[in-house]
Amino acid sequence: MDNVQNRKFVILAIFIFIGVLYIGRLFYIQIISDEHKEWAKTVSQRSLRVLPERGYMFDRNGVVLVGNEKTYDFCIVPQKFSTEDSLGVCKSTGLSIQELRDVLDVETSYDRLMPQKAISGLSISEMETLKQKLVEGKAFSFIESNKRVYPNPMAPHVLGFTGIIQKRHMDADTTGYYREQDFVGRAGVESSYEKELRGLIGFKEILKDNKGQEKALVKYDTAIAGQNITLTLDSRLQEYGEHLMINKIGSIVAIEPKTGEILSMVSAPTYDPNVFSGDGLRKNYDSIFNPNDTLQTSKNKAIYNDTYRPGSIFKLVQALVGMQAGVIDSTTSFVCNKQPMNCHNHPHPSNVKVAIQHSCNPYFYNVYRRLLLRGEAKSHFIDSRFGLTKWEEAVRSFGLGTKLNTDIPGIKTGNVPDTSYYDNEFPLKKPYGRNRWAFSMIYSNSIGEGEIGVAPIQMANLAAIIANRGWYYTPHLVKEIGKNGDKREEYTKKNYTLVDSAYFEPVAYAMEQVVINGTARRARIDSVRVCGKTGTVENKSFNDHSVFIAYAPAEDPQIAIAVYVEYGTWGGTWAAPIASLMIEKYLRDQGYLNTVRSKKSLAKEKRAFESVIQHKHAIIK
Amino acid sequence: MRLSSSSILPKKLDAPLLIIYLVFVLLGVATIFSSAYSEEFPSLFSMDKEYGKQIVYIGFSLFVGMIILLVDGKFFTFSAYYIYGFIMLLLVAVLFTKGIKGAHSWFKIGPFSLQPSELAKFATSLAFAKLLTTPNRKITDARTRLWALLILAIPGLLITIQPDPGTVLVFVAFVLVMYREGMSGLILLVGLLVGIVGVMVVFTRDSVWFGFMSGPWLISSFAILCCAVSYVSITKFVRKRFRRKYYIQTTAVLAVVILVSFGTLLVHKYVLSDRHRDRFDVILGLIEDNQGVGYNQAQSMGAVATGELFGKGYGNATMSNDEFNQVPEQSTDFIFCSVGEEWGFVGGLVFICLYVIMLIRIVMIAERQRSQFTRIFGYCAASIFFFHFLINIGMVIGVVPVVGIPLPFFSYGGSSIIGFSILIFILLRLDSERMEVFS
Repeated sequence: MDNVQNRKFVILAIFIFIGVLYIGRLFYIQIISDEHKEWAKTVSQRSLRVLPERGYMFDRNGVVLVGNEKTYDFCIVPQKFSTEDSLGVCKSTGLSIQELRDVLDVETSYDRLMPQKAISGLSISEMETLKQKLVEGKAFSFIESNKRVYPNPMAPHVLGFTGIIQKRHMDADTTGYYREQDFVGRAGVESSYEKELRGLIGFKEILKDNKGQEKALVKYDTAIAGQNITLTLDSRLQEYGEHLMINKIGSIVAIEPKTGEILSMVSAPTYDPNVFSGDGLRKNYDSIFNPNDTLQTSKNKAIYNDTYRPGSIFKLVQALVGMQAGVIDSTTSFVCNKQPMNCHNHPHPSNVKVAIQHSCNPYFYNVYRRLLLRGEAKSHFIDSRFGLTKWEEAVRSFGLGTKLNTDIPGIKTGNVPDTSYYDNEFPLKKPYGRNRWAFSMIYSNSIGEGEIGVAPIQMANLAAIIANRGWYYTPHLVKEIGKNGDKREEYTKKNYTLVDSAYFEPVAYAMEQVVINGTARRARIDSVRVCGKTGTVENKSFNDHSVFIAYAPAEDPQIAIAVYVEYGTWGGTWAAPIASLMIEKYLRDQGYLNTVRSKKSLAKEKRAFESVIQHKHAIIK
Repeated sequence: MRLSSSSILPKKLDAPLLIIYLVFVLLGVATIFSSAYSEEFPSLFSMDKEYGKQIVYIGFSLFVGMIILLVDGKFFTFSAYYIYGFIMLLLVAVLFTKGIKGAHSWFKIGPFSLQPSELAKFATSLAFAKLLTTPNRKITDARTRLWALLILAIPGLLITIQPDPGTVLVFVAFVLVMYREGMSGLILLVGLLVGIVGVMVVFTRDSVWFGFMSGPWLISSFAILCCAVSYVSITKFVRKRFRRKYYIQTTAVLAVVILVSFGTLLVHKYVLSDRHRDRFDVILGLIEDNQGVGYNQAQSMGAVATGELFGKGYGNATMSNDEFNQVPEQSTDFIFCSVGEEWGFVGGLVFICLYVIMLIRIVMIAERQRSQFTRIFGYCAASIFFFHFLINIGMVIGVVPVVGIPLPFFSYGGSSIIGFSILIFILLRLDSERMEVFS
């Protein structure tokens, strides 16, 4: 090194050393390490989920019941937001300072670069107004999304609603489809057909500039819209039913007997499904799902209220089960001595038809007595036990006391008491216990009172069973899924009752007589043979409940219906006329009935529309 | 070698250097074009875009270069001080201009601006070469060293006042020239020692050892311990008459270490501004703040990294160009990002190799001179080019703190390309006369 001439080698060595060092460094950051590539990706690329459009819902005639509308979410990028603008933003958006702070207060620095949702579900016009009010800023953006709209608002209990996904749904989702804040079906068909309606999420990979603006597209997997669903509902009938049930509590279920398709499902009081549209669920949830709401507006009473006792309509089942079991035949007669149950004045129940026509209580007391006490054992206790088991099995085959596997969530089982029920569950405070109960203690079941509980959908299904003479398709709400038009397989299988079809004839005949000349004369329709049965369910605390099931026309049943009007007193007073109006409406819409509407029918309709039925708690306004 | 049959042009131009120069200039403008291209200005000669202007600057540089090649080399040896003086006057004058972003570094001339500090690089080189070739001056003399320091200090100081700390740093490069011209090699070793101790101090400044020692104390204590050991070893193993020399050297090293330990701490604490301190800390990995102070480098390294092996292809950058604007100062200080991103590792490798070949070639040219002036000037040029390479590329790939100095021939900017071209062409001219001159 002392030779100055050789110092050039030192200098050259330094040059080459740095060159090699830098090449090594380049090799490291370009080939080996992923750290800088990851960073580059986070700052220059963005992967966007493209949410598919949710499937529409149509009624059976193609009327749109649920559609979509574009909405806009107002977002703020915390990083670009200057706190000086806080007051202005609060003023123009209506957010409180605390709410704004919650939006801006995000954990990671990456989130600070991302738009954070401040207000969701703005309509186009709301978005435009807000845009004008806001000061120009890079921090603000509007993200487009869809919300559910209901152009023909009806049947909220059937359609259900969408809302932000709940944690338990997120946890249950093993496919990783959902992200927080996603909208999912939370009730009704929206919930049970979520997989069909939601579609396939698309992905969009974009390149952005330093300000986060989209500059180029890397990859775009388009979203595939969800499948449209055709419901079994007839919107005209549904709307009419909801109208008829205004100012009443209760429900209507109408079924097409041939197919099990639910034509109408009304739960009163009802509400406009649009209140839950978009951000509405968050805003209006408490007002609809109010635990203090004695009217239980949010509940779908047609499937949920299974503690309704069926009352006299249950006599139909008793007659059928009795004949099948051979304890009576169509000509069996009992004396109506108004004992042990009271009865009204009516001709002598010389056979089962007359008994049904006049709804004779003692007659069915005797039928039930014979069903339970078949003489198989000496002890009444053991005999009742044996009888109840057989009876209960037969009753269940009518879809009573079992969960009808219909396609909206929330359906309840109802109650058909079995031996274990009386052994262990009833009465609630101190159950009877094994072999400590007998027919004499439970005979009120014989006329549909006692411990029997039935949901309106099960009552309508009973009417359908009688119309079909012994079988039914599980009632369901979705007729077609998507383009190929399949319905779920379980709804294409017939369920048979344990009663032979021959036994249905006298019952059907009696039901027609009920309408012509019995308790349901208000259900008569000119030139249509209606078969029906009223029920008046005892209610100790207030007026009795009014129940009616029917099907028509008798010769070729098109519609089976159950109407339950709480506190409506006699079955013939409210339930029967409402059911007949529904039947008439449907048959006219279907072209089965082309005659001019009678004055009676119009008067009936007027009476139903205008009446307010008092209930236990208050007068419905 | 023969480049031209013209009798006016010098006959023995160094072809390799000239070719490398031309290649770099063309690649440079091509890189700017790819990064600043916009569909509104599709023409290469759009004067509203940087590539259009850069072409004008290159044209002007070549014109100046041509003139330089026509000038007798003696002119440069003769007028070295005058040129230096003139540029220094410009540096003084520029301080009285209206500042741009707080820095008084540019003369505005119509649409163009002139940055005299870029010209100071070749001017100082000329003056430096002139000083060391003056008879009876040797770099080993204290007086000469003082003069040399003065020649460097004047532009250094003037540029500091602008302020433009990046450009000031370039004058450190002359250490290499001094070393080549005979100054003790210790200066390089001391520099290395200072560097190592400095970095260690910054690393350990907030740590606590054995419950009471901070980093600098630990380093100093360790140095004292080492010295004690070497004192003992010297007394034991070295003959008496040599001992004094070793004692002094050991003590000097100890003094340097202690001085640097606490000096660094003081400089780091009180002299550096927060901004510059943070830049050091980012490089040393002491703070990680890709959004804040580390942003520029995080972005530039990200851009380079995405080039991977073969790059995204010319014009396909998705980070380092004006459209995406992910790399700040993209066309000037961070132009190498484009090379890395569009041509990948292979492109970077080729670039670095070519650049090092250029440096080697300049050293070879310098070494073949009989003229001491040309040799020293050649080394000045090599050192300046090397230093720009060291800082600029190092900054882009994250081994050197962010310092605003251009990459020669690539970075956008008229003054810098003119300055660097003059450096190259003066060397080419002087070299072409190597057989004629005897001094």
